[in-house]
Amino acid sequence: MMLGTRRNAFSRSGASDASVPADVVLSVRQLSVAYVTRRGPVQAVRDVSFDLHGGESLALIGESGSGKTTLGMAINRLLGSSAQITTGEVLYQRQGKVTNILTLNKEQLRRFHWQECAIVFQSALNSLNPVLRVADQFVDTARAHGQHDRGQIEQRASHLLRLVQLDPGRVLHAYPHELSGGMRQRVLLALGLLLEPQVLVLDEPTTALDILTQRVIIETLRQLKQELRFSMIFISHDLSLAAELADRVATMYAGRIIELGSVRDIFYHTRHPYTLGLLQSVPPLRGTLEDLRSIPGSPPDLITLPSGCKFHPRCPLAGPECAQEDPPAFVVGDEHTSACLRWQEVRSPRGEEAAIGEPSRVMHSARTPRAEEAAS
Amino acid sequence: MSAATSPLVASGTSRGLRGKSVRSRIGDIAGNYWVGRIVKAILTIYLVVTLTFFLVRLMPGNPVESFILNLVQTQGLTYPQAQAQAASLFSFDVNAPLWQQYVDYLGNLIHGNLGVSIVSTGTPVSVMILQYLPWTLFSVGLALLISFVLGITLGILMAYRRDTLPDHVLSTIAAFISGVPNYLLAILIVVFLGIRLHLVPFTAMRGSLSPGVSPNLSLQFIGDALFHASLPITVYVLTTVGGWMLLMKSNTTSTLGEDYVLVARARGLRDGRITAAYVGRNAMLPLISALAISVGFIVGGSTVIEQIFVYQGIGWILGSAIVSLDYTVMQGIFLILTISVVVSNLLADLLYGKLDPRVRIAGSQ
Amino acid sequence: MAIGTTAPDAVLTTDSNVLVRSAQSVGGLLRSLARRPSGLAGLILVTFFVLLSAVGPLFVPGNLQPDVTAIYAAPSAAHPLGTDSQGRDVLDQVLLGGRTLLIIAVIAAGMSTLIAVTLGASAAFLGGVVDAIIVAVTDMWLTIPQFPLLAVLAGFIHFTNPSFMAVIIGVLTWPSLTRAVRAQVLSLRQRDYVEAARALDLGTRRIIFSEILPNMMAYIAINFSLGMVAAIYFQTALYFLGFAPLAGNNWGIMINLAWVQGAIFFQQSIWYILAPVTAIALFSIGLVTLTRALEEIFNPRLRGNLS
Repeated sequence: MMLGTRRNAFSRSGASDASVPADVVLSVRQLSVAYVTRRGPVQAVRDVSFDLHGGESLALIGESGSGKTTLGMAINRLLGSSAQITTGEVLYQRQGKVTNILTLNKEQLRRFHWQECAIVFQSALNSLNPVLRVADQFVDTARAHGQHDRGQIEQRASHLLRLVQLDPGRVLHAYPHELSGGMRQRVLLALGLLLEPQVLVLDEPTTALDILTQRVIIETLRQLKQELRFSMIFISHDLSLAAELADRVATMYAGRIIELGSVRDIFYHTRHPYTLGLLQSVPPLRGTLEDLRSIPGSPPDLITLPSGCKFHPRCPLAGPECAQEDPPAFVVGDEHTSACLRWQEVRSPRGEEAAIGEPSRVMHSARTPRAEEAAS
Repeated sequence: MSAATSPLVASGTSRGLRGKSVRSRIGDIAGNYWVGRIVKAILTIYLVVTLTFFLVRLMPGNPVESFILNLVQTQGLTYPQAQAQAASLFSFDVNAPLWQQYVDYLGNLIHGNLGVSIVSTGTPVSVMILQYLPWTLFSVGLALLISFVLGITLGILMAYRRDTLPDHVLSTIAAFISGVPNYLLAILIVVFLGIRLHLVPFTAMRGSLSPGVSPNLSLQFIGDALFHASLPITVYVLTTVGGWMLLMKSNTTSTLGEDYVLVARARGLRDGRITAAYVGRNAMLPLISALAISVGFIVGGSTVIEQIFVYQGIGWILGSAIVSLDYTVMQGIFLILTISVVVSNLLADLLYGKLDPRVRIAGSQ
Repeated sequence: MAIGTTAPDAVLTTDSNVLVRSAQSVGGLLRSLARRPSGLAGLILVTFFVLLSAVGPLFVPGNLQPDVTAIYAAPSAAHPLGTDSQGRDVLDQVLLGGRTLLIIAVIAAGMSTLIAVTLGASAAFLGGVVDAIIVAVTDMWLTIPQFPLLAVLAGFIHFTNPSFMAVIIGVLTWPSLTRAVRAQVLSLRQRDYVEAARALDLGTRRIIFSEILPNMMAYIAINFSLGMVAAIYFQTALYFLGFAPLAGNNWGIMINLAWVQGAIFFQQSIWYILAPVTAIALFSIGLVTLTRALEEIFNPRLRGNLS
């Protein structure tokens, strides 16, 4: 269901000659972001590259401060003035036409926002303007992108609200403070889908919510993804969420993607000790609590990063060579990369052989409360 | 009080106070926000009415008593004759018991009878109020509007361009000028612009209208009214606009950091819409309650400012009454000034309730 | 805080915390003040006027002698700021005229702060009906225009005694301070050490005086300063309008005489009005900027979050 005719957001100046595979909607290449602080630049995102395919969902996983939120913001060029995108490009493809988001002018960027890529933030509680009714916030959004028929917009909003299991009669004319946290989160999801973007970025979509509401949101997302076929990047520190929703998982550490692979590869053929550490810090439903381990140490200072592999000070497998150079991303399997010199020594705790064909154990672990508490 | 400084402190806390205690306790009984507000306004007026009554009756050197004695001495009246005259002037029977006088006084007030001027014998206080009050309401109201709109606009601009040269210059000027007591500024205007430089014909600007101009809807009348009110308005605006600017700047700066503003950008809204409906409207809300306080300060200041410019409003006539010890006029005018401020506060509260949906809900729950 | 628009928390320390800590001592507070331009300017102005009021009168020889040969004399070596309508030296009057104003302002602000702290703290601490009543009365009292009330009072009772006037001003100006104190105590109450004191059942009065008040010195200082600004405005305006008896020497009376006796119309006597106007204005500006600087130091959030 389209709202009128979709206008192409871009004229010539954003166009890029770079070639992008036909099924890729978003291609991030060598992206680096630094924050300017008094102590020096904070390297929040370093040399990140990945492709997002049509209809795919990619999970960005990492501890807080790993740069995953900054990455999500950078893709949308929503960072504040203290942040600088130092290198790289963000290529966006629609109907064979490739655009570099980083070279769009202000008005082109404004049209790109939400129409092509919507982003649902962590703190949904405060993401809606407190003095406007929900309906007005839908209308505002649609009007900014050339839709002016209020009746039509509200009709579409009602449809979307029903999709996220809300009662439009009650929600549409309510003010944000009259809705619960879970309801506001779902309103934002519906708002995110209003313009039928190709890409939806979800930043910690369930973190602030209670466990029951988390389940509702996850179920809703899963259904929406099947019905509407948008691509999704979701940012979380919760591996169990990734197990439920993602097709592929990227693990971030100190601003870099250190392992990227299919959800099955990440869980059952883990090839980076940090990902392994994250997996081991999720309490399993079955098995003993002795299996539960947290990663020793804390994330590095992003201004004075350690030499070599940034994880080596905390890594149980680290050898002297790890302090020498930052390892490149090794291809360790089909569509599976790991930035670890000793990736061959990493062994998944789920058992390389036994676990295959039995993903239910990981899935169940999603139901254990607050898995991330152990991780952080 | 220097009007601009106090909203900084007072407004910061006012929402919390009003938000919780008064509304949730008294307000619970009263039922909702609107009823609670109106009840509070009526209570305040009643408090002031009572205060003024006892001020006149119970003060050391009781004005009524000294007035009677004065009549006896200067006009050769007998004591009862003088008492009868006093009773008609003060609009209560000075022989009756105190509670009876109080009830009579309240009854008279409800019928709009505020007594009769002692000095301009025979002129009812209510007539004087009707004659002078409109000019004060006009000049104060217009000044408040100009100052508020100007302050909010400049404040938003300063927040968007914070830490640039224009911001620093405006901040310094705002802080400086809002520290100057308003009547000193008025004196400086008369001395420099009026007398030394002859830029302002301040003697021709005295009064509320030029001779021969009468109130009607002509351009001439409006122009003349503005001409005479322009000096007081200038002083009110200059001494309050700095406070609005600084307050709006700080509110806007914090609102710009709100998630919903970032989300509005992510939604691709146009800058104008974000500034007006997302940043401006939310940043302005706390200023509405400061508006109520500011009305009181400007009205209070009008007592001094109108003397300096000889602008014939209610503050000017209050000054004359105080100097000539015209007690009934003092009492009546103080009452009407308070009622004006209470009513403006009520309007500000109702405006706040209109602009912030959260208030309505909190009030009705 | 906004999502991701600032650098990760781990690498940023806000200097406000440092300032609050360093401000615990008086020396640290002065250093914090001197570091910001507004604070330094305010500090210098206020110190100057306090010194002027304390030391100034020592330079004036006895009673001011009228001199009929030098009425409205232009500034000269003998009279740097000229003379008034009775030929008295204007500079001498400026040197003399700050002391009573300052004393009245201090008494009034002290009175007002005392009432505000007592009522504000009681409201916040006792809660319930007491809180509701204090808040309601404060709200109502705040609505009454203070200067007209003071002026009317001046008509009924003659302020022949300046300290009496100071007390009246103090009694009029407490409401806005009460609100600030109450809000502050409410927030302090939530903090750990007060919770601990309550758990130990130390008693309300003990908690107020030994736990809450010391932590509120900053707010008391800010409110005291604002109270002085109000008191200076009120009393000088009363003198200027002639609502208070024109006895003695102070800047308000000087303005009144200069205004009423026409000194404003003559070039040579311009300083008779400009000198006290400048003095009052600069003193007020000094107090206001000092207050703002204190607010910034103690409550960095005040600049941002008012609601």
